[in-house]
Amino acid sequence: MSLILSSAPHIRTHNTTTRLMGNVLIALAPCVAAGVYFFGLRAALVLAVSTASAVLAEFVWQKLAHQKVRISDLSAAVTGLLIGLIVSPTVPWWTVMIGSFFAIIVVKQLFGGVGDNFLNPALAARAVLLASWPTRLTSHPAVGFSADAVSAATPLASMKGISLNDLLLGHVGGAIGETCKIAILVGLAYLLITRTISWRIPVFTVASAFLFNLVVSGSLNDSLTCILSGGLLFGAVFMATDYATSPMQSYAQMIYSVLIGIITVVIRKWGVYPEGVTYAILIANIVAPLLDRFIPQKIYGVIGKKKEVKA
Amino acid sequence: MKGTFRGGVHPSHKSKDPTKGVKTREYVSDTVKIIMNMNIGAPAKPCVKKGDQVRVGQVIGEAQGFMSVPVHASVSGTVLAVEPIPYLTEAPSMAITIQNDFKDEWVELHPLGDVEHVDPKLVIPAIQNAGICGMGGACFPTHVKLSLKPDQKCDTIIVNGAECETHLTADHRLMLENSKRIVDGLRAVMRALDVKNGVIAIEDNKADAIAAMKEASFGRQGVTVKSLRTKYPQGGEKQLIEAITGRQVPSGGLPIQVNVVVLNVGTCAAIADAIIDGKPLISRITTITGCVRNPSNLRLRIGTLVEDLIGECGGFSEEAGKIVFGGAMTGLPIPNTAVPIAKATNGVVVYNKHDGASVEEGPCIRCGKCVSVCPIGLNPFQIKAAADADDLEKCKALHVMDCILCGSCSFDCPSRRWLTASFKNAKQKITLQAKKAAAAQQGGTAK
Ligand code: SF4
Ligand code: SF4
Repeated sequence: MSLILSSAPHIRTHNTTTRLMGNVLIALAPCVAAGVYFFGLRAALVLAVSTASAVLAEFVWQKLAHQKVRISDLSAAVTGLLIGLIVSPTVPWWTVMIGSFFAIIVVKQLFGGVGDNFLNPALAARAVLLASWPTRLTSHPAVGFSADAVSAATPLASMKGISLNDLLLGHVGGAIGETCKIAILVGLAYLLITRTISWRIPVFTVASAFLFNLVVSGSLNDSLTCILSGGLLFGAVFMATDYATSPMQSYAQMIYSVLIGIITVVIRKWGVYPEGVTYAILIANIVAPLLDRFIPQKIYGVIGKKKEVKA
Repeated sequence: MKGTFRGGVHPSHKSKDPTKGVKTREYVSDTVKIIMNMNIGAPAKPCVKKGDQVRVGQVIGEAQGFMSVPVHASVSGTVLAVEPIPYLTEAPSMAITIQNDFKDEWVELHPLGDVEHVDPKLVIPAIQNAGICGMGGACFPTHVKLSLKPDQKCDTIIVNGAECETHLTADHRLMLENSKRIVDGLRAVMRALDVKNGVIAIEDNKADAIAAMKEASFGRQGVTVKSLRTKYPQGGEKQLIEAITGRQVPSGGLPIQVNVVVLNVGTCAAIADAIIDGKPLISRITTITGCVRNPSNLRLRIGTLVEDLIGECGGFSEEAGKIVFGGAMTGLPIPNTAVPIAKATNGVVVYNKHDGASVEEGPCIRCGKCVSVCPIGLNPFQIKAAADADDLEKCKALHVMDCILCGSCSFDCPSRRWLTASFKNAKQKITLQAKKAAAAQQGGTAK
């Protein structure tokens, strides 16, 4: 009789990479539904193109590089879907396609593949698209019109006349997945229940943006509008929590989140762009590894003991 | 006081269900194969030869120095062989095979009587002569643990009844069936070391054991029972000490440096047997579960072969893929069923081909789960990268030597990375390196 001799532990959690990424896709479903409901089939097309191109890019790259094809881990599908959800429904399909290709090939694979990228691929793609075709990405349709309807300014560019209620439900213009806050919160609940992410990053990000906005504006209404408008909530739940690009230590995660909250408000209040979350998260992504490295780790039994000096 | 520790995981405890409610039964096999290096430290040296008649409790392996314990015959009968056999260790181990004559003839015993009246000075020598070593898994010689240096002082003795591992219920059953002996053993040690505070620590999912131990310790001087949050690895020595006393054992140090000694419940019961009855350690309770027809807790003689005890449990219920000594988080896989159990074998768990299959490692997705579950506060994903690159210096700098090999990080890794296994490997290499360096230095000074 030959017995297997693999070492302990002999049982593993039921969570796998595929399952965790699948959880993110499920958590995004309410946002997808809201997007299609508010913006029509045009939005569905954008999402389909962005997701399919990301998966295709990953497949082709891994084939060409003679790596094991890992599209079944669903991480490319998540990136693709996220890209679709953070652009305007009026954006031409080839733009999202370029975005997905860029995210997968340049931001993810050139830096070593899953886990090794230091920037959030979806956000980096959005930043590049914003820089290349600024008007295409930010001209959002007003809700209630068909996709090719008159473009309205984003809620951030003209804030007046929009009620908090409309913001919450997503009855405003904006990117496909970012507008309906209720859908985002449902997704957040799912991610927390399935232990896919921890509460720390989303809660600290939103809370710090709210508090900082309150300090600089002095208005409760303005601060509520701040956290309910634009991509802040979506970014805090789905972007800032990206595994590879957020810190690992709990204290580092808190500082990282506060950084995102504050930079977002700073860019919105004093910057040239109406929407700051994308850049805030990308900047925090760059700082994340430093935070992990320089915030002292608390190791059992090592506290108070002098660090060994390297010879 | 916290009653818990940071990090940790929650593996399912359903694996304990088949055995936890069933009374322990005794099983004695036809032959036993008793190995000489059960304990940490020097192996014992066989002092009987083929053809000898032995009695139960007779010394058949003599301790080699202080860091060693004697080995006793667990059955009476004829010595069939004294030869090295392959064991879980790298090198084969010396083993003595005894054909049981089922007469159960004991050597003459020298009981010391009631633990509350025994001369405290006699306790530790009695423990040493009884061949007792840590029965929770490590098998560290107990008398060594209890022999304090002049500058060491102990103010708390913790009895580990956490049994946080999966599958195992042997300690649980012992606490229910032999509660008084555990308290007796604890009291003997408390008196030997002149310690006022003895704490029996049990996870709060074993309410019946907590009740039984509370009842047994009622009116016993200085003994308390404390319930702990059910979380793995609550029974880890360091985690237990922190949960009970709030103290942290310094990195690289021993519990005694924070004035604590931790003993397993089985060890305590064995100590009581040694004092009250004068009996050496020749049997223990082991949980046999997994893919066997009749999962049970058996009181087994040390040296019982796995094939025999599986037979006693009705045989395999499915084709066996992997057999493990101990629970799923830290247990050691065994190469075949001709292997005997030792003093520290708390469980024999049979996995089928599917559950026992080795999992394939994926790339690290930096999800941070390993970091958040590590009870020591290490960065397992980083140590793994260093270990894969064979960079032992970096492993050391990342505190791999503080890793307690609890398996939590590997358990929770969605990418199925072999974190714990590679840390074990790295730790062994580092220890070997240090030994070589020390030897080289000694050789240098000798010249
Ligand atoms: S749990 Fe596994 S995948 Fe996640 S960071 Fe640790 S090693 Fe990487
Ligand atoms: S095996 Fe080591 S590194 Fe992994 S969780 Fe346990 S102590 Fe931490």
